[in-house]
Amino acid sequence: MHRRALIGLVGLTLTAPLPATAVAQGAGGRAGGVVRGEVRDPRGAPIRGAVVGVPGTTLYTFTDAGGHYRLAPVAPGEIHLRVAAIGYAPASATVTLADSAGADFTLEPSPLELTPLDVVSTKVPHFGEPATSVAQLTEQEIARRAVNTVDEAVDKAAGVQILNGQINIRGSTGYVQGLNSRVLLLVDGVPMNQGDRGGINWDLLPVDQIERVDILKGAGSSLYGSAAFGGVVNLTTRDVPTGTHARVRATGGAYADPPHPEWRFRNTTGLEGGVDLSGSYGTETAGGRVAVGARHSDGYREQDERDHWQLAGKGRWQMTPRTRLDVSGAWAVDRYQVPLSWCRRGECADSGQVYQPFKVDTTELGARTDSRKGYVSAQLRTVASERFAWQARGSWLRTHFTDYRRSATEFAVANRFGVEIRAEAHPDAARTVLVGGEGTLSDVQSDVFGTHTQSELGAYGESGQQIGRAHVTAGARLDYLAVDAGSMTAVVSPRIGGTLPLADGTLRASVGRGFRAPTMAERFVHTFALGFEVIPNPNLRPETGWSAELGHTTPVLGAARIDAALFWTEARELIEPQLILVVDTATMDTKAKIQLQNVTRARIAGLDATVLVAPIPDHLTAMLAYTYLATRPILAFRPTHLLTLTGDYAPGGTGGAWSVGADFRYASRPQRIELEGFVDERRVAVKVLDVRAAWTHGPVELRLLVANALNYMYNLVPETLEPVRTISVTAVWSY
Amino acid sequence: MSLRPAAVLLAALAAALACDAGLEPEPVCARGLIGLCGIAHYTGTPPAETEAVFVVAFHTYPRSCADLLALPPNFQPFPPPPLPRPYADSAAYSVPLTAGRYEWVVAVWKKPGTPTFTTNDTSLFRVAGQYPDSSNRAQAGAATVPAGGAVSDIDIVVDFDSLRPVTDFVTCTAAP
Repeated sequence: MHRRALIGLVGLTLTAPLPATAVAQGAGGRAGGVVRGEVRDPRGAPIRGAVVGVPGTTLYTFTDAGGHYRLAPVAPGEIHLRVAAIGYAPASATVTLADSAGADFTLEPSPLELTPLDVVSTKVPHFGEPATSVAQLTEQEIARRAVNTVDEAVDKAAGVQILNGQINIRGSTGYVQGLNSRVLLLVDGVPMNQGDRGGINWDLLPVDQIERVDILKGAGSSLYGSAAFGGVVNLTTRDVPTGTHARVRATGGAYADPPHPEWRFRNTTGLEGGVDLSGSYGTETAGGRVAVGARHSDGYREQDERDHWQLAGKGRWQMTPRTRLDVSGAWAVDRYQVPLSWCRRGECADSGQVYQPFKVDTTELGARTDSRKGYVSAQLRTVASERFAWQARGSWLRTHFTDYRRSATEFAVANRFGVEIRAEAHPDAARTVLVGGEGTLSDVQSDVFGTHTQSELGAYGESGQQIGRAHVTAGARLDYLAVDAGSMTAVVSPRIGGTLPLADGTLRASVGRGFRAPTMAERFVHTFALGFEVIPNPNLRPETGWSAELGHTTPVLGAARIDAALFWTEARELIEPQLILVVDTATMDTKAKIQLQNVTRARIAGLDATVLVAPIPDHLTAMLAYTYLATRPILAFRPTHLLTLTGDYAPGGTGGAWSVGADFRYASRPQRIELEGFVDERRVAVKVLDVRAAWTHGPVELRLLVANALNYMYNLVPETLEPVRTISVTAVWSY
Repeated sequence: MSLRPAAVLLAALAAALACDAGLEPEPVCARGLIGLCGIAHYTGTPPAETEAVFVVAFHTYPRSCADLLALPPNFQPFPPPPLPRPYADSAAYSVPLTAGRYEWVVAVWKKPGTPTFTTNDTSLFRVAGQYPDSSNRAQAGAATVPAGGAVSDIDIVVDFDSLRPVTDFVTCTAAP
């Protein structure tokens, strides 16, 4: 298939000598040579983010915004280069290298091509089909949807649902008010789940700085450790291209009024808007970028205003031809009013309604949250040879929130320090070995979580072997967890998987164990919710689960591609909130309280299918993604059916000036919610249509988005209305 | 091949048209209520000695204190359930009543004290508002509760800055 798709190798030339810096650091040529080139589409437009490498070796890199790549150090001789980009047919070329060589590629658009690239930041092979399902969002898809936040972008991925900020992949996560996440977030491969709550700050990074989103579905603990219970999301930030570049992104929009006069809550139109600015400068040796941005929203509900400020930066330094250092960081400040639960009868000016979804309980008027979060990380990668490379990283994530309520003010300051070192070896072209060690130290200081520390130490290894036509990977990870320097808990997470190319596609299968350590918030939270006292449970044990998957991807009639996977998870010790009766030993009174406990033994199984259709290649593409989920017992907040239908039409083809598109999302009504009987159990199915149009002219893009075009009223979690119809215009200028 | 784009667009259109309205308003007059309901619009500042506000209904407009304050009472429901706090902005209320015509639906403000159902009670109560006649809002309007059902939209303005003694409405022998 790939050989058939091999096209367009238009330039393969020996080029000028290396720059002086590279030659000087070449240590007499032992560092090897350099291959440079460009990757473009047939119109000559650069393709950003294409992976260029030598299969079966440590050598790979990505193209920058100008489509340029630089691959080093490459041993002199004949090398086999491979290029792949999502939405394009892959290409290969053989280059004879002395000191340096050039190889330019032209890739033909192939909208059905879903070759996963550098799947979830280098812990799996750089080319080839992974043994586990992966969904990817490219920069083009993110831009096309004109979303303003990272979670809005992730929410559009097949089989993924964001529940009020909490990500749910294949039913792994329900909704627990942000007290944990069964999905691990990585930013450029660095774990970024909060140190105290384990949740995800989606507003940590501006969406304009995201180049690609990779979503690994299923247990990934054998490589990633805790929190990778249900999946892993990796955000790849934009690399720093050579030359001087700038980018301005401005957006403005308006929220629709409530569709029923009984629900009106203000006499003005709610507005939103924001601006992002970034500038970068880079040479082949080093480069850096700084981005700043601000955003304001009046909100679509009562007490829903939010302000956001951010600063992000990234730097790279090719210290030697073999060693590259990447440093990145971000700092975001948010102040947002808290709508809390919607108003129920008598809690506000209810206008004769049993509930008012746009209004809040007047007893919590004025509630707001101040949130500050930031991270810095540094990663060093040394390619010792084509057969061996090692990588080290260090990171620091800090989160700080203060909730201001009439009833109480709560705060938490948390740090998460992480280090990792891993080595990648390719003993021969058919075998890959990856070993590594990772350490994490988290601390929290809070009036609701107390003052605690939690440490996690992990060691992992995985080997991949080509056996005939099949590629098999097997590995395991051992993690030690300790809280407040107390006794350690050990968790072993093995995994085995493989892929087998068939005449009509590729078969994949994997079995692995996932786990999630209880967060410090889950162990030690002491607060009040829904009128109940929430009491700590320091004895919580890690959640564990075995996950299996059997998938198949195949092209159909040259105009479609179908990917389907059956998945199965047997989960143990899931941590869920429970309403319990506690006897006060002093007064002998019995009171109902909420406590997080290891209670649920659950089976989560289903089917995940994606059909990609390109009936008019380069003009019209459509995608249907469907996830069927069955859980035993019935787990809260899991829709049985999740469907996404996407269509895009470009009259002038890819690269044309105009394009239009639409997304339709359906999620069935969850059969169960937590704490039934204590919250408003009202909930409906999700049926949301987004329509969009774009116009591009040179460095300028204009995008119109009508999100929730039908102004469909729905909620995903109790008493929380999801956004109304929002019309927004986004303008981008790139230099 | 040419049918495929049309099929995709038709599928998208069908999916879009399948949308219902999702969450919808749900009036307070819940199923099963036999009586009347409406919205109490609050204006003014509730006095510090406010104990409760409630809505009661009289089959016939009272002519005297005896009509107003007697046992068994001439009004329904008895005892009257207080309207939910806070007494601000507006709030829905429901009053269970027997079927029939009611000539006076009145919002009553009460300060702390135990009623004796004599003319002395006039010091405990004030008329805070009434369901008005649609053609003359200064006069009381009538509401009819259907057999086995409820009448809605019986909206009343509760004006805490204009709490009127019952003697403005009926003749009493004792001073209010």
